[in-house]
Amino acid sequence: MKSVKVTINGRLYEREVAEHKTLLRFLRDDLGLTGTKEGCGAGECGACMIIMNGVSVNSCMVLAAEANGAEIETVEGVGTNDELSALQDSFHRHHAVQCGFCTPGMIMTATDLLRRTPHPSREEIKDGIEGNFCRCTGYEQIIEAIEDVAGTEDSHA
Amino acid sequence: MLHEFSYIEPGSLSELLEFLAKYGPESAVFSGGTDLLISIRAGLEKPVYVVDLKKVPELQELNFGSKSGLSIGAAVNVNRVVEHEAVQSHYRILEIAGRELATFQLRNRATVIGNIVTASPCGDMSSPLLCLDAEVELLSASGSRSMLLKEFITGVKKTQIKPEEIVSKITVPTTFMDAAGGYEKLKRIKGHDLGVVAVTMIKTKKTMRVAVSSAAPTPVLLPDFVLDTPVAEIQKVAQAAISPIDDVRCTKEYRRFMVDIYIRRLLEEVQHERGAA
Repeated sequence: MKSVKVTINGRLYEREVAEHKTLLRFLRDDLGLTGTKEGCGAGECGACMIIMNGVSVNSCMVLAAEANGAEIETVEGVGTNDELSALQDSFHRHHAVQCGFCTPGMIMTATDLLRRTPHPSREEIKDGIEGNFCRCTGYEQIIEAIEDVAGTEDSHA
Repeated sequence: MLHEFSYIEPGSLSELLEFLAKYGPESAVFSGGTDLLISIRAGLEKPVYVVDLKKVPELQELNFGSKSGLSIGAAVNVNRVVEHEAVQSHYRILEIAGRELATFQLRNRATVIGNIVTASPCGDMSSPLLCLDAEVELLSASGSRSMLLKEFITGVKKTQIKPEEIVSKITVPTTFMDAAGGYEKLKRIKGHDLGVVAVTMIKTKKTMRVAVSSAAPTPVLLPDFVLDTPVAEIQKVAQAAISPIDDVRCTKEYRRFMVDIYIRRLLEEVQHERGAA
Protein backbone atom coordinates (compact mmCIF):
# COMPACT_ATOMS: atom_id res chain seq x y z
CA MET A 1 0.00 0.00 0.00
CA LYS A 2 1.08 3.55 -0.63
CA SER A 3 -0.13 6.82 0.88
CA VAL A 4 -1.57 9.12 -1.71
CA LYS A 5 -2.56 12.77 -1.28
CA VAL A 6 -4.42 13.99 -4.29
CA THR A 7 -6.61 16.98 -5.07
CA ILE A 8 -9.67 16.05 -7.08
CA ASN A 9 -12.03 18.77 -8.27
CA GLY A 10 -10.57 21.08 -5.64
CA ARG A 11 -10.98 18.68 -2.72
CA LEU A 12 -7.99 17.03 -1.04
CA TYR A 13 -8.17 13.26 -0.52
CA GLU A 14 -5.67 11.26 1.56
CA ARG A 15 -5.86 7.51 1.14
CA GLU A 16 -3.84 4.33 1.35
CA VAL A 17 -3.93 2.74 -2.08
CA ALA A 18 -2.90 -0.63 -3.49
CA GLU A 19 0.20 -0.06 -5.59
CA HIS A 20 -1.09 -2.00 -8.57
CA LYS A 21 -4.39 -0.11 -8.72
CA THR A 22 -5.09 2.15 -11.67
CA LEU A 23 -6.13 5.73 -11.07
CA LEU A 24 -9.44 4.87 -12.73
CA ARG A 25 -10.23 2.08 -10.24
CA PHE A 26 -9.10 4.34 -7.39
CA LEU A 27 -11.51 7.09 -8.47
CA ARG A 28 -14.40 4.68 -8.93
CA ASP A 29 -13.91 2.03 -6.22
CA ASP A 30 -12.11 3.91 -3.44
CA LEU A 31 -13.59 7.38 -3.82
CA GLY A 32 -16.97 6.56 -5.36
CA LEU A 33 -16.39 9.01 -8.23
CA THR A 34 -18.14 6.82 -10.77
CA GLY A 35 -18.65 9.50 -13.41
CA THR A 36 -15.36 8.37 -14.96
CA LYS A 37 -16.11 5.16 -16.86
CA GLU A 38 -14.13 2.05 -17.63
CA GLY A 39 -14.67 0.99 -21.24
CA CYS A 40 -11.76 -0.98 -22.64
CA GLY A 41 -9.22 -0.55 -19.85
CA ALA A 42 -6.52 -0.41 -22.52
CA GLY A 43 -6.30 3.20 -23.66
CA GLU A 44 -8.43 2.66 -26.75
CA CYS A 45 -11.85 4.13 -25.96
CA GLY A 46 -11.38 7.29 -23.88
CA ALA A 47 -14.33 6.66 -21.52
CA CYS A 48 -11.94 7.12 -18.57
CA MET A 49 -10.57 10.50 -19.68
CA ILE A 50 -9.58 12.89 -16.89
CA ILE A 51 -7.38 15.96 -16.65
CA MET A 52 -4.30 15.45 -14.47
CA ASN A 53 -2.03 18.41 -13.73
CA GLY A 54 -3.63 20.24 -16.64
CA VAL A 55 -3.08 17.45 -19.14
CA SER A 56 -5.73 15.05 -20.47
CA VAL A 57 -4.91 11.39 -19.90
CA ASN A 58 -6.65 8.02 -20.01
CA SER A 59 -6.98 7.20 -16.30
CA CYS A 60 -6.91 3.45 -17.02
CA MET A 61 -3.30 3.96 -18.12
CA VAL A 62 -2.19 5.76 -14.93
CA LEU A 63 -1.44 4.18 -11.57
CA ALA A 64 -3.15 5.69 -8.52
CA ALA A 65 0.25 5.75 -6.80
CA GLU A 66 1.55 8.07 -9.51
CA ALA A 67 -1.16 10.60 -8.73
CA ASN A 68 0.38 11.46 -5.35
CA GLY A 69 0.53 15.25 -5.22
CA ALA A 70 -1.47 15.66 -8.42
CA GLU A 71 -4.38 17.96 -9.22
CA ILE A 72 -7.10 16.05 -10.98
CA GLU A 73 -10.28 17.11 -12.71
CA THR A 74 -13.04 14.61 -13.41
CA VAL A 75 -16.49 15.05 -14.86
CA GLU A 76 -17.89 15.50 -11.33
CA GLY A 77 -16.02 18.82 -11.19
CA VAL A 78 -17.42 20.11 -14.49
CA GLY A 79 -20.67 21.97 -13.80
CA THR A 80 -23.42 20.82 -11.42
CA ASN A 81 -26.89 19.40 -11.93
CA ASP A 82 -28.27 22.91 -11.63
CA GLU A 83 -25.61 24.66 -13.60
CA LEU A 84 -24.12 22.77 -16.52
CA SER A 85 -20.87 23.85 -18.14
CA ALA A 86 -21.23 25.43 -21.57
CA LEU A 87 -20.11 22.16 -23.14
CA GLN A 88 -22.50 20.01 -21.11
CA ASP A 89 -25.34 22.36 -22.00
CA SER A 90 -24.37 22.20 -25.66
CA PHE A 91 -24.20 18.37 -25.60
CA HIS A 92 -27.71 18.45 -24.12
CA ARG A 93 -29.09 20.84 -26.74
CA HIS A 94 -27.47 19.02 -29.67
CA HIS A 95 -28.59 15.54 -28.56
CA ALA A 96 -24.91 14.57 -28.38
CA VAL A 97 -25.77 11.97 -25.73
CA GLN A 98 -27.57 8.70 -26.32
CA CYS A 99 -26.57 5.89 -23.97
CA GLY A 100 -24.27 8.33 -22.15
CA PHE A 101 -21.40 5.97 -21.45
CA CYS A 102 -18.83 7.89 -23.49
CA THR A 103 -20.15 11.30 -22.42
CA PRO A 104 -18.02 12.00 -19.32
CA GLY A 105 -14.84 11.12 -21.22
CA MET A 106 -16.01 13.10 -24.24
CA ILE A 107 -16.72 16.14 -22.02
CA MET A 108 -13.27 15.94 -20.42
CA THR A 109 -11.56 15.62 -23.79
CA ALA A 110 -13.53 18.51 -25.25
CA THR A 111 -12.91 20.64 -22.14
CA ASP A 112 -9.17 20.11 -22.54
CA LEU A 113 -9.33 20.65 -26.31
CA LEU A 114 -11.07 24.02 -25.93
CA ARG A 115 -8.56 25.15 -23.31
CA ARG A 116 -5.71 24.42 -25.70
CA THR A 117 -7.51 25.52 -28.85
CA PRO A 118 -10.38 27.87 -28.01
CA HIS A 119 -11.64 28.05 -31.61
CA PRO A 120 -10.88 24.71 -33.23
CA SER A 121 -11.82 23.99 -36.83
CA ARG A 122 -14.07 21.01 -37.55
CA GLU A 123 -10.97 18.99 -38.47
CA GLU A 124 -9.28 19.95 -35.21
CA ILE A 125 -12.36 18.84 -33.30
CA LYS A 126 -12.38 15.50 -35.13
CA ASP A 127 -8.67 15.02 -34.40
CA GLY A 128 -9.21 16.13 -30.83
CA ILE A 129 -11.88 13.50 -30.07
CA GLU A 130 -10.06 10.76 -32.00
CA GLY A 131 -9.33 8.95 -28.74
CA ASN A 132 -12.95 8.86 -27.56
CA PHE A 133 -15.24 6.23 -28.99
CA CYS A 134 -19.00 6.74 -29.21
CA ARG A 135 -21.04 3.78 -30.46
CA CYS A 136 -24.41 5.60 -30.52
CA THR A 137 -24.33 8.99 -32.14
CA GLY A 138 -22.06 8.58 -35.13
CA TYR A 139 -20.18 11.61 -33.70
CA GLU A 140 -22.01 14.20 -35.80
CA GLN A 141 -23.98 15.69 -32.89
CA ILE A 142 -20.92 15.62 -30.65
CA ILE A 143 -18.86 17.56 -33.19
CA GLU A 144 -21.72 20.06 -33.59
CA ALA A 145 -22.04 20.47 -29.83
CA ILE A 146 -18.33 21.28 -29.51
CA GLU A 147 -18.42 23.57 -32.56
CA ASP A 148 -21.31 25.45 -31.03
CA VAL A 149 -19.37 26.20 -27.84
CA ALA A 150 -16.16 26.93 -29.74
CA GLY A 151 -17.99 29.50 -31.84
CA THR A 152 -19.37 31.26 -28.75
CA GLU A 153 -17.42 34.10 -27.20
CA ASP A 154 -16.35 33.64 -23.52
CA SER A 155 -17.26 29.99 -23.43
CA HIS A 156 -17.06 28.53 -19.94
CA ALA A 157 -15.66 25.30 -21.27
CA MET B 1 -7.77 -5.80 -12.39
CA LEU B 2 -4.02 -5.70 -12.59
CA HIS B 3 -1.79 -8.40 -11.18
CA GLU B 4 -0.23 -7.25 -7.89
CA PHE B 5 3.11 -5.51 -7.97
CA SER B 6 5.07 -2.98 -5.92
CA TYR B 7 5.42 0.51 -7.28
CA ILE B 8 8.95 1.89 -7.01
CA GLU B 9 9.66 5.54 -7.59
CA PRO B 10 13.40 6.32 -7.57
CA GLY B 11 14.27 10.00 -7.28
CA SER B 12 17.73 9.79 -8.80
CA LEU B 13 19.58 7.95 -11.50
CA SER B 14 21.87 6.17 -9.02
CA GLU B 15 18.93 5.00 -6.92
CA LEU B 16 17.22 3.70 -10.07
CA LEU B 17 20.29 1.88 -11.40
CA GLU B 18 21.12 0.35 -8.02
CA PHE B 19 17.59 -0.97 -7.73
CA LEU B 20 17.77 -2.52 -11.20
CA ALA B 21 21.22 -3.99 -10.44
CA LYS B 22 19.56 -5.94 -7.61
CA TYR B 23 16.06 -6.56 -8.86
CA GLY B 24 16.29 -6.06 -12.64
CA PRO B 25 14.98 -9.49 -13.63
CA GLU B 26 11.82 -9.08 -11.50
CA SER B 27 11.27 -5.45 -12.54
CA ALA B 28 9.46 -3.72 -15.34
CA VAL B 29 10.62 -0.22 -16.15
CA PHE B 30 7.68 2.15 -16.44
CA SER B 31 7.05 5.65 -17.72
CA GLY B 32 3.88 6.16 -19.77
CA GLY B 33 2.63 2.64 -19.17
CA THR B 34 0.73 2.56 -22.45
CA ASP B 35 2.31 -0.76 -23.40
CA LEU B 36 3.25 -2.11 -19.98
CA LEU B 37 -0.11 -1.74 -18.23
CA ILE B 38 -1.85 -3.42 -21.16
CA SER B 39 0.58 -6.33 -21.06
CA ILE B 40 0.20 -6.67 -17.28
CA ARG B 41 -3.57 -6.55 -17.59
CA ALA B 42 -3.45 -9.23 -20.28
CA GLY B 43 -1.27 -11.40 -18.03
CA LEU B 44 1.64 -11.30 -20.47
CA GLU B 45 3.96 -9.67 -17.95
CA LYS B 46 4.01 -10.29 -14.21
CA PRO B 47 6.62 -7.98 -12.73
CA VAL B 48 7.21 -7.96 -8.98
CA TYR B 49 8.31 -4.32 -9.21
CA VAL B 50 7.10 -1.59 -11.52
CA VAL B 51 9.86 1.01 -11.54
CA ASP B 52 8.82 4.54 -12.50
CA LEU B 53 11.38 6.64 -14.40
CA LYS B 54 9.51 9.93 -14.28
CA LYS B 55 11.03 11.31 -11.05
CA VAL B 56 14.59 11.00 -12.34
CA PRO B 57 15.45 14.53 -13.58
CA GLU B 58 18.04 13.46 -16.19
CA LEU B 59 15.52 11.19 -17.88
CA GLN B 60 13.15 14.14 -18.43
CA GLU B 61 15.72 16.02 -20.51
CA LEU B 62 15.03 16.96 -24.11
CA ASN B 63 17.85 18.98 -25.70
CA PHE B 64 18.98 20.20 -29.06
CA GLY B 65 22.36 21.60 -30.11
CA SER B 66 23.38 22.53 -33.66
CA LYS B 67 26.47 20.30 -33.31
CA SER B 68 25.29 17.62 -30.90
CA GLY B 69 21.88 17.07 -32.47
CA LEU B 70 18.75 16.05 -30.61
CA SER B 71 18.77 14.13 -27.37
CA ILE B 72 15.58 12.58 -25.99
CA GLY B 73 15.52 11.28 -22.40
CA ALA B 74 13.76 8.07 -21.39
CA ALA B 75 10.84 9.76 -19.65
CA VAL B 76 10.12 12.33 -22.38
CA ASN B 77 6.63 11.79 -23.75
CA VAL B 78 5.79 11.90 -27.45
CA ASN B 79 3.91 15.22 -27.25
CA ARG B 80 6.94 16.99 -25.81
CA VAL B 81 8.97 15.81 -28.79
CA VAL B 82 6.30 16.59 -31.37
CA GLU B 83 5.84 20.10 -29.94
CA HIS B 84 9.56 20.87 -29.55
CA GLU B 85 10.73 23.78 -31.68
CA ALA B 86 13.94 22.10 -32.89
CA VAL B 87 12.04 18.95 -33.85
CA GLN B 88 9.54 20.99 -35.83
CA SER B 89 12.25 22.94 -37.62
CA HIS B 90 15.05 20.36 -38.04
CA TYR B 91 13.60 16.87 -37.63
CA ARG B 92 10.16 17.22 -39.16
CA ILE B 93 9.85 13.52 -39.84
CA LEU B 94 9.76 12.91 -36.07
CA GLU B 95 6.91 15.38 -35.73
CA ILE B 96 4.97 13.90 -38.66
CA ALA B 97 5.33 10.29 -37.47
CA GLY B 98 4.89 11.25 -33.81
CA ARG B 99 1.47 12.73 -34.53
CA GLU B 100 0.46 9.38 -36.02
CA LEU B 101 1.27 7.57 -32.77
CA ALA B 102 -1.99 6.73 -30.96
CA THR B 103 -4.03 9.69 -29.69
CA PHE B 104 -3.16 13.08 -28.21
CA GLN B 105 -3.98 11.82 -24.71
CA LEU B 106 -1.90 8.66 -25.04
CA ARG B 107 0.95 10.78 -26.42
CA ASN B 108 0.78 12.76 -23.17
CA ARG B 109 1.88 9.52 -21.49
CA ALA B 110 3.65 7.37 -24.09
CA THR B 111 7.38 7.99 -24.45
CA VAL B 112 9.53 7.89 -27.59
CA ILE B 113 11.97 5.55 -25.87
CA GLY B 114 9.17 3.29 -24.67
CA ASN B 115 8.10 2.94 -28.28
CA ILE B 116 11.66 1.90 -29.18
CA VAL B 117 12.21 -0.47 -26.25
CA THR B 118 8.86 -2.19 -26.87
CA ALA B 119 10.39 -2.97 -30.28
CA SER B 120 7.11 -3.72 -31.93
CA PRO B 121 7.48 -4.09 -35.70
CA CYS B 122 4.80 -1.38 -36.03
CA GLY B 123 6.25 1.20 -33.61
CA ASP B 124 5.67 4.62 -35.16
CA MET B 125 8.93 6.13 -33.90
CA SER B 126 11.30 3.38 -34.99
CA SER B 127 11.36 3.76 -38.75
CA PRO B 128 11.88 7.56 -38.69
CA LEU B 129 14.58 7.20 -36.03
CA LEU B 130 16.24 4.47 -38.12
CA CYS B 131 16.31 6.81 -41.12
CA LEU B 132 17.94 9.49 -38.95
CA ASP B 133 20.70 7.12 -37.69
CA ALA B 134 19.58 7.48 -34.08
CA GLU B 135 21.76 6.01 -31.37
CA VAL B 136 20.59 4.59 -28.04
CA GLU B 137 22.47 4.92 -24.77
CA LEU B 138 22.11 2.03 -22.33
CA LEU B 139 22.89 2.66 -18.67
CA SER B 140 23.38 0.35 -15.74
CA ALA B 141 25.04 0.61 -12.34
CA SER B 142 28.20 -0.79 -13.92
CA GLY B 143 28.46 1.65 -16.81
CA SER B 144 27.08 2.77 -20.14
CA ARG B 145 27.21 1.58 -23.72
CA SER B 146 25.86 3.04 -26.93
CA MET B 147 24.77 1.51 -30.18
CA LEU B 148 22.86 2.39 -33.30
CA LEU B 149 19.12 1.86 -33.06
CA LYS B 150 19.55 -0.43 -36.05
CA GLU B 151 21.64 -2.80 -33.91
CA PHE B 152 19.55 -2.34 -30.77
CA ILE B 153 16.31 -3.85 -32.12
CA THR B 154 16.94 -7.51 -32.85
CA GLY B 155 13.50 -9.07 -33.38
CA VAL B 156 9.78 -8.89 -32.62
CA LYS B 157 9.73 -7.19 -29.22
CA LYS B 158 13.39 -8.11 -28.77
CA THR B 159 16.28 -5.74 -28.14
CA GLN B 160 19.78 -5.87 -26.72
CA ILE B 161 18.70 -4.40 -23.37
CA LYS B 162 19.66 -6.36 -20.25
CA PRO B 163 17.44 -6.59 -17.16
CA GLU B 164 19.69 -4.29 -15.15
CA GLU B 165 19.81 -1.65 -17.90
CA ILE B 166 17.64 1.21 -19.06
CA VAL B 167 17.76 3.09 -22.32
CA SER B 168 18.58 6.46 -20.79
CA LYS B 169 18.41 8.50 -23.96
CA ILE B 170 18.27 8.39 -27.70
CA THR B 171 20.47 10.75 -29.70
CA VAL B 172 19.67 11.91 -33.20
CA PRO B 173 22.81 13.18 -34.96
CA THR B 174 22.88 16.21 -37.25
CA THR B 175 23.65 14.07 -40.33
CA PHE B 176 20.09 14.22 -41.66
CA MET B 177 19.05 17.49 -40.07
CA ASP B 178 16.57 19.51 -42.14
CA ALA B 179 15.88 16.56 -44.45
CA ALA B 180 12.59 16.63 -46.31
CA GLY B 181 10.45 13.66 -45.48
CA GLY B 182 7.16 11.91 -45.12
CA TYR B 183 5.49 9.07 -43.28
CA GLU B 184 2.63 6.99 -44.67
CA LYS B 185 0.79 4.62 -42.38
CA LEU B 186 -1.98 2.22 -43.29
CA LYS B 187 -4.66 1.89 -40.60
CA ARG B 188 -7.92 -0.03 -40.42
CA ILE B 189 -9.94 3.01 -39.36
CA LYS B 190 -9.68 6.77 -39.89
CA GLY B 191 -8.97 7.39 -36.22
CA HIS B 192 -6.05 6.13 -34.18
CA ASP B 193 -4.83 2.61 -34.81
CA LEU B 194 -1.70 0.51 -34.85
CA GLY B 195 0.00 0.65 -38.22
CA VAL B 196 -0.91 -2.19 -40.56
CA VAL B 197 2.12 -1.22 -42.60
CA ALA B 198 4.08 2.06 -42.72
CA VAL B 199 6.84 3.66 -44.78
CA THR B 200 9.16 6.54 -43.87
CA MET B 201 11.17 8.43 -46.48
CA ILE B 202 13.67 11.24 -45.98
CA LYS B 203 15.65 13.17 -48.55
CA THR B 204 18.73 15.36 -48.24
CA LYS B 205 20.69 17.07 -51.03
CA LYS B 206 22.72 13.93 -51.57
CA THR B 207 20.70 10.95 -50.59
CA MET B 208 17.36 9.36 -49.88
CA ARG B 209 16.53 6.93 -47.11
CA VAL B 210 13.55 4.64 -46.72
CA ALA B 211 12.42 2.51 -43.79
CA VAL B 212 9.45 0.14 -43.64
CA SER B 213 7.49 -0.88 -40.52
CA SER B 214 5.14 -3.81 -39.88
CA ALA B 215 6.55 -5.75 -42.80
CA ALA B 216 9.28 -7.82 -41.12
CA PRO B 217 10.21 -8.91 -37.57
CA THR B 218 11.87 -5.51 -37.08
CA PRO B 219 11.43 -2.17 -38.83
CA VAL B 220 13.70 -2.32 -41.89
CA LEU B 221 16.05 0.45 -43.02
CA LEU B 222 16.89 0.08 -46.71
CA PRO B 223 20.36 0.90 -48.05
CA ASP B 224 20.79 4.56 -49.08
CA PHE B 225 19.55 5.61 -52.50
CA VAL B 226 21.06 8.29 -54.74
CA LEU B 227 18.73 11.17 -55.46
CA ASP B 228 17.30 10.25 -58.83
CA THR B 229 16.80 6.55 -58.18
CA PRO B 230 13.74 5.47 -60.17
CA VAL B 231 10.68 4.52 -58.11
CA ALA B 232 10.72 0.97 -59.50
CA GLU B 233 14.25 0.46 -58.20
CA ILE B 234 13.35 1.60 -54.67
CA GLN B 235 10.28 -0.64 -54.73
CA LYS B 236 12.37 -3.60 -55.86
CA VAL B 237 14.92 -3.11 -53.06
CA ALA B 238 12.11 -2.69 -50.51
CA GLN B 239 10.29 -5.82 -51.64
CA ALA B 240 13.49 -7.85 -51.35
CA ALA B 241 14.19 -6.51 -47.86
CA ILE B 242 10.78 -7.13 -46.25
CA SER B 243 9.12 -10.39 -45.21
CA PRO B 244 5.55 -9.53 -44.24
CA ILE B 245 3.17 -12.04 -42.68
CA ASP B 246 -0.58 -12.62 -42.72
CA ASP B 247 -2.17 -11.60 -39.43
CA VAL B 248 -5.41 -10.32 -37.94
CA ARG B 249 -4.79 -6.90 -39.42
CA CYS B 250 -4.12 -7.82 -43.05
CA THR B 251 -2.55 -10.24 -45.51
CA LYS B 252 1.09 -10.27 -46.53
CA GLU B 253 0.15 -9.56 -50.14
CA TYR B 254 -1.73 -6.42 -49.14
CA ARG B 255 1.24 -5.26 -47.05
CA ARG B 256 3.59 -5.74 -50.02
CA PHE B 257 1.14 -3.93 -52.29
CA MET B 258 0.82 -0.93 -49.96
CA VAL B 259 4.59 -0.64 -49.49
CA ASP B 260 4.90 -0.02 -53.25
CA ILE B 261 2.07 2.49 -53.21
CA TYR B 262 3.55 4.40 -50.28
CA ILE B 263 7.02 4.49 -51.82
CA ARG B 264 5.59 6.03 -54.98
CA ARG B 265 3.52 8.57 -53.02
CA LEU B 266 6.34 9.55 -50.70
CA LEU B 267 8.78 9.92 -53.55
CA GLU B 268 6.42 12.36 -55.25
CA GLU B 269 5.90 14.15 -51.94
CA VAL B 270 9.57 14.59 -51.00
CA GLN B 271 10.53 15.63 -54.50
CA HIS B 272 8.11 18.51 -54.28
CA GLU B 273 9.27 19.58 -50.85
CA ARG B 274 11.65 22.48 -50.77
CA GLY B 275 14.53 23.04 -48.40
CA ALA B 276 16.00 19.57 -48.28
CA ALA B 277 19.40 19.85 -46.62
